[in-house]
Amino acid sequence: MERRHHSQSHSQRQQRRNHFSSSSSSSSNQSRSNNRFSFPKSSSSSSSSSANDVRDRRRETQEEKQEEAIVGTCPFMCPEAERLQRQRLRDLAVFERLHGDPRNSSPALAVKKFCRTMSAKEVRASDVRPLPVLEETLNYLLSLLDSTEHPFEVIHDFVFDRTRSVRQDLIMQNIVNDKAINMFEKIVKFHVISHHKLRSSCSSSSISPLHYLNLEQLTKALTSLYNLYEANRSSKPIHEKEAEFRSFYVLLHLDSNGQPVGESLSLWFRHVPSPIIKSKEMWFARQALRYFQMGNYRRFLSTVAAEASYLQYCIIEPYIDEVRSLALCCIHNCCYKLHPYPLGHLSKVLMMEESDVELFCNAYGLQTCIDEVGNKLLPTKQTTFCRPKGGLQNYSFLGFQQLGSHMLSSLFYNHFLLVPMKPFSHVDGWN
Amino acid sequence: MSMGEAHRRITDYLNRFSDAVSSQDVASLKQLLSFSSNSPSLLSLADSLNVFQDANRLIKQSDNYSPFADITVPLFRSLQHYRTGNLVDAYLAFEKSANAFIQEFRNWESAWALEALYVIAYEIRVLAERADRELASNGKSPEKLKAAGSFLMKVFGVLALGTVHLCRSVIRSIETARIFDFEEFPKRDKVTYMYYTGRLEVFNENFPAADQKLSYALINCNPRSEANIRSVSAVLIVMILKYLIPVKLSIGILPKDWLLEKYNLVEYSNIVQALRRGDLRLLRHALEEHEDQFLRSGVYLVLEKLELQVYQRLFKKIYIIQKQKDPSKAHQMKLDVIVKALKWLEMDMDVDEVECIVAILIHKNLVKGYFAHKSKVVVLSKQDPFPKLNGKPVNS
Repeated sequence: MERRHHSQSHSQRQQRRNHFSSSSSSSSNQSRSNNRFSFPKSSSSSSSSSANDVRDRRRETQEEKQEEAIVGTCPFMCPEAERLQRQRLRDLAVFERLHGDPRNSSPALAVKKFCRTMSAKEVRASDVRPLPVLEETLNYLLSLLDSTEHPFEVIHDFVFDRTRSVRQDLIMQNIVNDKAINMFEKIVKFHVISHHKLRSSCSSSSISPLHYLNLEQLTKALTSLYNLYEANRSSKPIHEKEAEFRSFYVLLHLDSNGQPVGESLSLWFRHVPSPIIKSKEMWFARQALRYFQMGNYRRFLSTVAAEASYLQYCIIEPYIDEVRSLALCCIHNCCYKLHPYPLGHLSKVLMMEESDVELFCNAYGLQTCIDEVGNKLLPTKQTTFCRPKGGLQNYSFLGFQQLGSHMLSSLFYNHFLLVPMKPFSHVDGWN
Repeated sequence: MSMGEAHRRITDYLNRFSDAVSSQDVASLKQLLSFSSNSPSLLSLADSLNVFQDANRLIKQSDNYSPFADITVPLFRSLQHYRTGNLVDAYLAFEKSANAFIQEFRNWESAWALEALYVIAYEIRVLAERADRELASNGKSPEKLKAAGSFLMKVFGVLALGTVHLCRSVIRSIETARIFDFEEFPKRDKVTYMYYTGRLEVFNENFPAADQKLSYALINCNPRSEANIRSVSAVLIVMILKYLIPVKLSIGILPKDWLLEKYNLVEYSNIVQALRRGDLRLLRHALEEHEDQFLRSGVYLVLEKLELQVYQRLFKKIYIIQKQKDPSKAHQMKLDVIVKALKWLEMDMDVDEVECIVAILIHKNLVKGYFAHKSKVVVLSKQDPFPKLNGKPVNS
């Protein structure tokens, strides 16, 4: 009994400190610090003798001292010391430069960079931004997504790094409330949109490093978000958007064979609350999974076109290509040779514009032909069928409206499209 | 070495241990446990323990160190024995420390210390081997390695209950290291091990491996004559069957009705029926009816995948009926006929979707033949048009 009590209070103490990650520079350690929260466990003190009481009281005072998470006091998006140093070193991102000057920034433009080696003992409260500042910072960062002045990769790179720092500040201060959930949801949305847009811009078949790293952070932020939902379960049983964000996990893992790491979906589903499983968003994800696993390309594509939200589409997009490949493969290999397959019908099956269908077939080494009345056809069982060498280009997806890039910020705000671009420009003395 | 220096080295180690745990720094923790590395710091710690003989009191009286006393006190003892070449005692003390470590590991919120657990597993094996050598050379029976194996079983138990997805690499590394001869262990341990690892294979959809392990567990947990043991075995059999049945279904093997009745596995009855009859509606219904239960136990996705097999069975039934009517034309199946059959099962599917299903079944070798798009007909192979799975899952 005594032993158990010790380990409970110790683990309580330990979990309150577990956001103080080690000063190791390996990213996997850092990722762990991003994902672990200390949730106040209900203190179940076993009936202990008075001697233990004394000792526990003493330990509690120690705990109280040790458990005070940092409360940040930095009033700007970037701590002043960092901004001044980076100005000196000309280490300013394009968005941080005042009038394009690589040596000059301002509190309205500079945003705290992500720093991997963070030992808890070295962190100063003045370097950490409190919640209201973090909220403003995040809003500012997301407003940059609509910018047309820079290619998306450049915007993504900046927002990627700076939102990672925002996450870090949230975790260091052990902020686990509704507002943290809101912020993490927005950050996940950013990664989902990037997942889609970086893929479009990448020309080779190999996944670009940016795309891969983005997927990595997407997964980590998503995991943190799930932890936050769980931590807030007592105050709010189900969050408004939780179902959609849970559905993302399923859609990220449609292909169970290609994902040897991470929790298998069967295991993951065990811990999903019942109301979430019965939600419309989760139902869609599970249908997509079912049809994907079965190979039912017809239902998969039509269901996605009819029911996927924009964000769900962004995640599921790579699988659309895969399913179309499967469809083409099946039709090409299993269809009677003397009945070439009409392209018009193939367009319906693949949910692709007919002009794109022809290009799609060509990418697989297949030739199309025309019959006497001018209908385009795909002869089947051609010997030239092969996997496309480069990546696939972007094809149309019938029945689904793509979102224009200027509308991206609307995904983040329910009630207003206009966001203050420079939240700190009103501060005296800075311009 | 002076007393003061020895005292300093010991408190230094204990501080590092305590810090590593509170900041979840597995890299530092690993180093503190790795005896076989023969690192200078561990060797000098051993020497310090010999000089400053009162480490136990030091540990138990400090609020910082006493929470880990169960781990560090025997660990220090083990280190001292290790240093003096007394391997059997070193092993025994290390085992005690390792057991305490597992207890603590269970209390921690996450599996952050998994790598430290690997190190302990490794060290315990190395110590056990050396201890056995010492025993053998003294004419005694070498049984420490077997004890180490039992410890490792306990590790699996902990891991299986918790972060299961991290198990794979542990199990793989230990299975390939051939630390122990599996056969020498008590049956109870073997059945437990095979149950947990078999279940893991189900979650990862490695059906042949799952079949092998769960079947082993089932065969070896035979009930004995005493009534109470029989009921315990019955519980275990039900636990195993809950996972083994979906696995068997996935490779095309259907359990007999009496098995389901005997162990009251009603949740699977309709599914088995659906497979036998090619009744898609019944499959969907059965999945819905027991959805919560299947999701909680983790077999839902496995069962959902049986859909293709049910389609195969349905097509086969249609084929058999057609063959009875007109053997010469049986190998040609109109898609419209299939649409009608599905409508009769209250499943609304148009010809295009049926064509898609047909194409998939052919692609996955559940149907042998081809389809003609213009005439909307499936032409089946005259020989074995519906190949059996033969113990292999439907290929993807």
